[in-house]
Amino acid sequence: MNLEILGISVLWTFLFGYILVGAIDFGAGFFNAYSLLTGKQRILTKVIQRYLSPVWEVTNVFLVFFFVGIIGFFPKTAFYYGTTLLVPVSFGIILLAIRGSYYAFETYGARGHKGYSFMYGLAGILIPASLSIVLTISEGGFIEIVDGNPVLDYWVLFTSPLTWSIVVLSIAATLYISAVFLTWYAHKAGDVEATNLLRKYALIWSLPTIITAGGIIFELRRHNFEHYNNIQTFWPMFLISFLLFAGTVWLLWKRHNYGWAFILLMGQFIFAFFGYGASHYPYLLYPYLTIYDSFTNPAMAISLIVAFILGLGLLIPSLVLLMRLFLFNKGYVRGKKDFHV
Amino acid sequence: MTDFIIFYAPFIILIAAIVVAFLIAPLDGSVTDKEE
Amino acid sequence: MGNEEAVFYSRVLTELTLSFHIIYATIGVGVPLMIMIAQWVGIKKNDEHYILLARRWARGFIITVAVGVVTGTAIGLQLSLLWPNFMEFAGNVIALPLFMETFAFFFEAIFLGIYLYTWDRFENQKKHLLLLVPVAIGASFSAVFITMVNAFMNAPRGFDIVDGEIVNINPIIAMFNPAMPTKVAHVVITAYMTAAFVLAAIAAFRLLRGSDHVYHKKALYLTMKLGFVFSIATALIGDFSGKYLAEYQPEKLAAAEWHFETQENAPLILFGVLKDGEVKYAINIPFGLSMLAFNNPNAEVIGLDQFPEDEIPPLYIHYLFNIMVFIGMWMTILSALYWIGINRGWKRVSTKWFRWLIVLGAPLTMIAIESGWWLAEVGRQPWILRKIMRVEDAATTSGQVDLMLMLFAGLYIVLGIGSVVVLRRMFNKNPVERELEDRHKEQGGDVQ
Repeated sequence: MNLEILGISVLWTFLFGYILVGAIDFGAGFFNAYSLLTGKQRILTKVIQRYLSPVWEVTNVFLVFFFVGIIGFFPKTAFYYGTTLLVPVSFGIILLAIRGSYYAFETYGARGHKGYSFMYGLAGILIPASLSIVLTISEGGFIEIVDGNPVLDYWVLFTSPLTWSIVVLSIAATLYISAVFLTWYAHKAGDVEATNLLRKYALIWSLPTIITAGGIIFELRRHNFEHYNNIQTFWPMFLISFLLFAGTVWLLWKRHNYGWAFILLMGQFIFAFFGYGASHYPYLLYPYLTIYDSFTNPAMAISLIVAFILGLGLLIPSLVLLMRLFLFNKGYVRGKKDFHV
Repeated sequence: MTDFIIFYAPFIILIAAIVVAFLIAPLDGSVTDKEE
Repeated sequence: MGNEEAVFYSRVLTELTLSFHIIYATIGVGVPLMIMIAQWVGIKKNDEHYILLARRWARGFIITVAVGVVTGTAIGLQLSLLWPNFMEFAGNVIALPLFMETFAFFFEAIFLGIYLYTWDRFENQKKHLLLLVPVAIGASFSAVFITMVNAFMNAPRGFDIVDGEIVNINPIIAMFNPAMPTKVAHVVITAYMTAAFVLAAIAAFRLLRGSDHVYHKKALYLTMKLGFVFSIATALIGDFSGKYLAEYQPEKLAAAEWHFETQENAPLILFGVLKDGEVKYAINIPFGLSMLAFNNPNAEVIGLDQFPEDEIPPLYIHYLFNIMVFIGMWMTILSALYWIGINRGWKRVSTKWFRWLIVLGAPLTMIAIESGWWLAEVGRQPWILRKIMRVEDAATTSGQVDLMLMLFAGLYIVLGIGSVVVLRRMFNKNPVERELEDRHKEQGGDVQ
């Protein structure tokens, strides 16, 4: 393994982390807002807020970590992606800002404020949509080089079926991941009503998730044949991913072991995400940028990796502590005790 | 001397200020005495 | 080429984002230390007022942290979006502290989550206080690492440029550049100072609004004392910054001081206005600038005459410099008077108008923070990386920056108003008197 692959693997892992915890987070915010709209907040709000509260800021850090890391390991991405992504990423930032701050406003300042809840619920569900545009653009075909500067062609981008399938997938997957996780969480909290409702949501959103995911592979055939071919060589990963998906749905359907359902779901997305990433190799941006021609100098790469290892030494114990205190603490999950500031 | 001021003194002052802050923080006799 | 527009709007948008973010970032760096001190005093003296003080500050702190986090994310991404050429360069040389900042931030975020949700969960209160230590360290180190990057922009080191290629990169030397110590220390200490004075203003305001509770008096006394300590340290470190500038960035010092001609025994110009190249209505302190720059009244200070015209920063930074220094001195005097006054039993420091002066301190220190950052950034012009890359060569070529500027301006209005409304609502609904009463009722059954 060389430094380039090591670097991108670390970043890809953190991006996966962001997608997973972000999806749970954004989906939960959306379900919370939706339950307000349909008058079901009595069932859902409590369990959702118990999970969300202590972890919201951590979610955001995964994203920051990813984009700071990619500039560090692959500085040329700043030039290509920085120049072209101004509009889509700015929208993403605005949504993130609304989502993060209004979540805090509602939770800490104005518990139960409906306007705030809608605001962050809606902003949250649009974040995956706006950020997923970056993945679409990385497939190539949307960027032209004019006078040595990359320019994004919005018309081509927004008329491409690939763009919209990825947008739909990002939203559907967000809701699906979130619903499966919350089903398990509600079950652990011993909240039967919430478990049943969330289980229903999970089953509903499983279908669009798998359909769009499959559809994207076929659209790639037309859009980026090289990548499509690479995906074929990784078919076992996608097959495993599909089987894990089927396993999750089956467990949910049978009301068996929701914890395993969520673990299988994580497996499904790990295989799909890393299969996709591996088939994208070596390109960061088709056809202009590979991980090799954009890689930083060895001195920086090594110091980043050393900093990363030291940082992990600090982070992993802290994350374990966080999860033990909240996620896996029975007293906390069941809402027996409240030590909120 | 200049090098010392530019490279080391700022951190010494910073840390000293934090230490002094902790030392003087509990001295609140002049406001608590009136409590009774 | 039309790129001038993109450069202009990129500058405005960056300035807007930073000016907004720095308010919340300064609070975010400074307040955890204040919470820690208050809680520590509370545990040490077994005084519930200080513990409640820490608790209420922590509650308000979450709101400011939330806005600080999201605007920090915004500026982090905007750097790449608006200054892609700069970030490509920065990625190669100064990515290490940027990367470490995310870890500091991560660390802070995790423990803040734990800290906020474990009030009264531990039998031993010291354990809970211990959880705050990583929060305060993470917050301060976020500032340290980010300021390292800013220092690098002022004094780029740790690489060579051969035929337009960056070679011999040493990330450690880039981090520990000559601008770093003074800049980092100045940013961190002023955050503490500002946080102390902002919290003091809140306590003073409550006292003005008719509350006579000793809780607020303790809060005010504590924060004014802390503010005094930190403002003295700020003045010292500010003096060191002057010495750094004289040695490494003389054009910035000369422009800020309106020091046009290189001379020995240089006087310090305070205030004044510039009319047709003439300084008017200024106060001249003989030998002042030579003292500030080299601690030697006879030292020669390099003036603006030594620099090509297109490498001189805008001269209006003199006003920013004056505002910053003047407010710093004013707050030092004010807090010193208060401290002495309380100890000596001067009635005057507890009068209405004196308390109003303390309340006024909050916006004033924020203005000082803003002026300081504008001075730092405008004073580096025309460079984004001093002597290496000009601002206009670093900017994006995208044509939609003006539109984004409007969008972000709207966002900051929404966030600014939102945070103020929420904070007011939070504390107005739950005044400290009532909270103390509730707590006593709750504990009524327990044997204390």
